[in-house]
Amino acid sequence: MIEKWCQGGWSLFEKVRMAAAEELKLPRDVVAGDVLVNFVGRNSVTVENYRGILIYDDSRIRLQASRCKIHISGKNLHIDYYSHDAMKISGQIVSLEFVD
Amino acid sequence: MKEKISNQIRGCLRLRLTGAAPERFFNLCRTNRIEVWDLQCKKSGYEFSVGLKDFYRIRPYVRKAGVRVRIAGRRGLPFFLQRNRRRKGYAAGILVFFGILFFMSRFLWAISVTGNYTISDDSFLHYLDSQEIRYGILKHKVDCDALEENIRSSFPEIIWVSARISGTQLLIRVKENDGVPVKEHEEPEPSDLVADMPGTVTRMIVRQGRPQVRIGDQVETGQILVSGRIPIYDDSEKLVKENQVCADADIYARTFSGYQEKLSKFRTVRAYSGRERQGLGLRLGPVDFVWMLPWDTEYNWQTMVTERQLCLFDDFYFPVWISRIQKKEYILYEQFLTNEEVLAKKENIHQEKLQNFLKKGVPIIENNVKIQDKGSYYEIQGEFVLEQKIGTRQRILYEPPEPVAENENQQ
Repeated sequence: MIEKWCQGGWSLFEKVRMAAAEELKLPRDVVAGDVLVNFVGRNSVTVENYRGILIYDDSRIRLQASRCKIHISGKNLHIDYYSHDAMKISGQIVSLEFVD
Repeated sequence: MKEKISNQIRGCLRLRLTGAAPERFFNLCRTNRIEVWDLQCKKSGYEFSVGLKDFYRIRPYVRKAGVRVRIAGRRGLPFFLQRNRRRKGYAAGILVFFGILFFMSRFLWAISVTGNYTISDDSFLHYLDSQEIRYGILKHKVDCDALEENIRSSFPEIIWVSARISGTQLLIRVKENDGVPVKEHEEPEPSDLVADMPGTVTRMIVRQGRPQVRIGDQVETGQILVSGRIPIYDDSEKLVKENQVCADADIYARTFSGYQEKLSKFRTVRAYSGRERQGLGLRLGPVDFVWMLPWDTEYNWQTMVTERQLCLFDDFYFPVWISRIQKKEYILYEQFLTNEEVLAKKENIHQEKLQNFLKKGVPIIENNVKIQDKGSYYEIQGEFVLEQKIGTRQRILYEPPEPVAENENQQ
C-alpha cells in the first residue's frame, strides 16, 4: 500500500489524504479533485473538475486538469456551456486523450 | 428549459470575439464566474452568449486578454421592450389580452364528472343545473363542500364524492356502490303467496305459512300457493282462532314464455356517392358560427362533427368551442334480405331473448324458434320452457269476526 502511494510523486499531505479517502471510501474526484469525464454517445461529453482552457478551435479542445491535460479532438466541436467546475462539449468527437 | 426562460426574461447578448488570446479571456470569465454558453469557433472568430448583467462585467477582462468583442445579437425581454417602446397599441393589446384572461378565469367554463357508471353525465349536469351550478357562473359561487353533501344525499347509490375547482373547470369524482343496494327493513305484514304466472310446480320449500299446492300441480295466475292464515283448532277440531302470518316460501314452477316479432323483408342501405364537404364551426358561448359551402338538399348528408373546447394548459377552459364538420352524401334505398340474412337476424333476435333469461339466472329447459312468411313481412315466433321462481306476496285483508256466529255460540 505504501509503495503504491509513493508512486506518482505525491506529496506527504496528498498521500495521507488519499489514504484517508481510501479508508473512508470517499470518491477520488471529491477528495483529490480528479477530473470526471462523462460521455453520452460520441456526440457529447461533460468534463468536471477541470482547471482551465488551453486551446479551443472547432477540431480540438485542450483542457488543463489537476494532474494531467485532456486533449479532445473531433469535428465541429462547440462548447454548450462552461462554468467554474464543468464544461459540456458537443460535436463529432473522435478521441479523448489524457496527457501528462 | 428553466434557464432558457430565465435568460429570455433577463436578456442576453450574442458576442463575437476576435484577438490573439481568446482562451485567456475564457479562463478569466471562468475564474470570475461569468456564465458563458453556446461557445462556437467560426471563421470570423469566436461566438458566445452572455447574460446582460455579465456583459457589463467583461470589459476589464477583454482589455486584459487583448481581445475585441462585438455584439452580434440581442435577445430577451429588455431588448424587446426597448424595440417596441413606441408601439402603444401593441402594449395595450397585451394588457387587454391578460385582462381578458384574468376576467375569464373568474368563471366556470367546464364541468367534468368521472367515476359514474349508472348515473349518466346528462343526469349529473341536470342535477347541477337544478343546484344553480352551470357553465358561466362565477367560481366563488360554487361551494364545493355543500355540493358534495347535496350529491351524497340526492344520489344514495354514490358512496363517495369529491368536488373541486381546478382552473376554470369543476371536477367531480364519484364512486358508486358496486354491491347490491341494501333494502330497508320492512315490517312483515300478514300476506299470502300467490302465483304471478301460470305453470306446473316442480319444487317447493315453505318456511312460513300453509302450502295450498303440491309438486306437480298446475297453477294459474292469482292462485294462492302458500296461505298466510294459520287456523288453530282445539281438541274437538273446532276452529278456535286464526293466526295471520307473512307467507314465506320458494316455489319453483315449469312455465312457458313466448314472443312474436315482425321482421321486415327489406333493409335500408345507405350508398355513399363519394361527394364530401368539409367545414369549420366556432361556438362562442351561446352563439354558433359555421363556415361551410352551401349544399343541395336533393340527397341526404351524413354529418360528423368533432368539437373541441379551447383550453390553455390543462384546466384553463374558455367558452370557445372549435369544431370540424365533415359531411358525406348518401342515397337511401331498400334491398331484399337474403335467406342467410333472414336466418341470421332470426338467430340474433332469439339469442337476445335467451340472454335476457340467462342474465336473470333462469334455467331454460327447452327453447324453440320458427319463422313464418306473412307476405309483406316475416314473423318470428319463439317459445321457452323455463323453471323459475313464482309467487308474489298479496296482503291478507282484515276480516272482522262475524257477530252472528258469536251469539249462536253463546246461546
